[in-house]
Amino acid sequence: MIRLENIEVTFGDFTAIPHLDLHVQPGEFFTLLGPSGCGKTTALRTLAGFIQPAGGTVRVDGKDVTRLPSDKRQVGMVFQNYALFPSMSVWENIAFGLRVRKEKPADSDRLVRDIARRVELSDEQLAKNVAELSGGQQQRVAVARALVLRPKILLLDEPLSNLDAKLRHQLRQQLKDLQSEFGITTVYVTHDQDEALAMSDRVAVFNKGVVEQVGTPQEIYDHAATEFVCNFIGDSSALTPDFVAEVNRLSGAGLSTDARSYLRVEKASLDRPADGGTAVGLPATVVSRTYHGLHSRYVVRSHGADIRLLVREDGAAHPEAGTATTVYVQPGHILQYHPGSGAALAQDQAVALP
Amino acid sequence: MSGNNAVRSMVRSPFVVVVGVILTWFIAAFLVWPNVNILIATFFPDGSFSGRAAEKLFSSQRAMKALGNSFLLAVALSVTVNLVGVFIVLVTHYFRIRGSRILFLGYASTFIYGGIVLAAGYKFIYGDKGIVTSLLVRVVPGMDPGWFSGFFAVLAVMTFATTTNHMLFVANALKGIDYQTIEAARNLGASTWTILRRIVLPMLKPTLFAVTILSFLTGLGALSAPQVLGGRDFQTITPMILTFTNSPTSRDLAALLAVILGVATMVMLAVMSRLEKGGTYFSVSKVSSELQKQDIANPVANVAVHAVAYLLFAVYTLPVVLIVLYSFADGAAIQTGQLSFSNLTLDNYIRVLTQQSGLRPFIVSVVYSALAAVIAVGGLLFVARLLQKYKNWVASTFEYLLHIPWILPSALLALGLIVSYDHPNPLVGGAVLTGTTVILLIAFVTVKIPFTLRMLKASFAAVNSSLEEAAAIMGAKTLYVFRRILLPLVLPAAAAITALNFNSLLDDYDTAIFLAHPLVQPLGLVIKANTDGAEGTEGIANTFVYTVLLMVITGVTMYLVYGRSGRRKGRKRLPAAPAGLQVSDAGLPGAQAPGEDDATRPAAAVR
Repeated sequence: MIRLENIEVTFGDFTAIPHLDLHVQPGEFFTLLGPSGCGKTTALRTLAGFIQPAGGTVRVDGKDVTRLPSDKRQVGMVFQNYALFPSMSVWENIAFGLRVRKEKPADSDRLVRDIARRVELSDEQLAKNVAELSGGQQQRVAVARALVLRPKILLLDEPLSNLDAKLRHQLRQQLKDLQSEFGITTVYVTHDQDEALAMSDRVAVFNKGVVEQVGTPQEIYDHAATEFVCNFIGDSSALTPDFVAEVNRLSGAGLSTDARSYLRVEKASLDRPADGGTAVGLPATVVSRTYHGLHSRYVVRSHGADIRLLVREDGAAHPEAGTATTVYVQPGHILQYHPGSGAALAQDQAVALP
Repeated sequence: MSGNNAVRSMVRSPFVVVVGVILTWFIAAFLVWPNVNILIATFFPDGSFSGRAAEKLFSSQRAMKALGNSFLLAVALSVTVNLVGVFIVLVTHYFRIRGSRILFLGYASTFIYGGIVLAAGYKFIYGDKGIVTSLLVRVVPGMDPGWFSGFFAVLAVMTFATTTNHMLFVANALKGIDYQTIEAARNLGASTWTILRRIVLPMLKPTLFAVTILSFLTGLGALSAPQVLGGRDFQTITPMILTFTNSPTSRDLAALLAVILGVATMVMLAVMSRLEKGGTYFSVSKVSSELQKQDIANPVANVAVHAVAYLLFAVYTLPVVLIVLYSFADGAAIQTGQLSFSNLTLDNYIRVLTQQSGLRPFIVSVVYSALAAVIAVGGLLFVARLLQKYKNWVASTFEYLLHIPWILPSALLALGLIVSYDHPNPLVGGAVLTGTTVILLIAFVTVKIPFTLRMLKASFAAVNSSLEEAAAIMGAKTLYVFRRILLPLVLPAAAAITALNFNSLLDDYDTAIFLAHPLVQPLGLVIKANTDGAEGTEGIANTFVYTVLLMVITGVTMYLVYGRSGRRKGRKRLPAAPAGLQVSDAGLPGAQAPGEDDATRPAAAVR
């Protein structure tokens, strides 16, 4: 549906995106995820036609649109702050694109009311000024305004970033529902990993203008392809070579002791896992415990590594800071990365270091 | 804070009582009584109601014509200023135009000179003996040397002089537009022209309304431009008021005209605040992106816009360039308009700065302006603090009364002072003020009150209130807190306000023409006299020198107040310039109620 090939974007001397290849499938909810300044918004704006790439091609539905202006690309966009026109009513906002296309007034009105109904905006709300709407309603107006022109692709530029946490959760669901109802190919930009994991079919993780990994939310979480992705997504503890050697000794696993090793917080435990056949227990001391109600966060030290883990507060007794305990780890859960390139090492592959 | 809202708590403080008594006297003597007195003089000349002034007015063909001319000028000016103003704002801030920085500097020349100085400058250049006219007549022998006078000349000069409001407020509103809305419109298929017409201009509408009303009022109250360039056929209300004031038998006519002007002004301001309440578009976005310049896609339109932009640039800069050049020229060059390097000397500057007759008006203006600026800021520091602290009906009554000079035209205020204090008056201890040097100082201070008050209040409000509370908790008394905590924080702003006040009074003409002592004439009056040819070529040369000096002083002040603070923005910003002084924070002219007289009308001096 969308193909970005060899895209290069520069601003003066600064290269925002050195080389980018992306392929988005029809009907997919595709997310560009990364910290601020990583080039994800630049990639989206290149796709939208607001930025002219220095090199490479943008294809929509097989057609080269690299040189086409934004409005000829059949892409609809929802902006970070919705960019609703404050001098117009809701109806006028949605009808804007239709009127620019010189649709017949009767047709415009029918299309506007039709799309409004589908995003659940009432006739009464259509007559209102945009400033009178709540954040959620404004979002629906922005989506309706983009979709009324029947674009092939919907682009969403951090549309939830300036909302408070509760509304963000609510609107996240609303956006996802709208997307599945319309079945439209969607490219979504966010820096919120939680949002990306919960909403996307596939995610591209950006870092410094480069895509580190493309995959389903589960792939990027469980099999982070690079050290950056591992650190950016989820929460993990860095392991020491000592610790890894001890795991090898206890389990017979062939983990590299020279690689950078990490363990997700939820993969370590203080109790032997019920089905944990391969889990090994290492002696450890509790460094600290923070109570969060639903769970407690522990930091335990073992073989020089500070391992963070979560313990569910189910009413059972749990060790306090300073006491000795055992930390259980499955060798297969340890994520390992090449210390030079940051690329993931396959299991059982000892790294040959220079 | 509930204690602060009670009137009783106010009266308990001796500090408040002292300030209150002085303030009450000042307001009664110089803001309320003179204007009430005008109404009495007009409608109750002998203690009972009389319509004689109105009858006289309606039967005076000259007066009626002047009234008509004023309204004609006001309407025409509203149109032309908007056309030129919106164009120059778009060219400098919205479209991608080659050399837009240089264009901006040219268009911004009205920031550093205006009023009588600008009118005089145009006359010396385009008037019947003007430099450009002399050259033109030589090229086109049959040409009328008086081509630049009358309605057309007044309208042209005032149009180019008053686009300052657009440069300040419309440009600022334009910068406030969220660029994402423009991108959204483009994404929906709108062309450059459609975006301008359907998105950008509608969002500017409230500001344009406000600026239009300011232009209308400027046209209505015009004084120096019609006086200098109107000729015999185009006279307007304010010059007429001045003429009638000078003869005691027609003073009631002057008063009635002033009242008409005042009523019209108040109606327009009421309309403006009404429009603003209903019409402002609050941006619905929390994060907005900065406006980026737009290309004009159509090559023909692009060339046309560039051509007009540079033509206007020439119109704006030519007077400035010529004034600066000819300020170095000798009498012969000024008379013939022909300039060569051999004609350029420093003689004019030496004469103005060393000879008593040349230097005197300059010194008079500097002393008057400095005194008035310091008195206004110094006195209002206390008042502004109290008005900002106490919020009850007494405080708001005082605040409204202090805005009287903003609502009423300066001609009315001046006339009121003349009529009220031309005989011994108990309000000022039985003294006669008319004809003394004090009355102009009083008028200067009065005129500056609304602007000073708004700005000072804003800078007090900008001080973090917990500083004050922290000092109070450690046992500091009110005055001590004021002296040690608040004053040092507000002082930079107060200095900036003083400088701006000083600037705007320096070339004052509108007030001085009514009230100045015949032997202590400030600069504005001398410049005006020179336009009548009273002092010959030397007078013209002196005026050029005065103009250059004024431009330098204004330019330096503007740079110190606005230029540096803008550059410092990235760093931690102490309230160096008060919130209101930053144009970006000032918002709409009337949005914060009356008060930004000078911020909104640096150009209104062309009256």
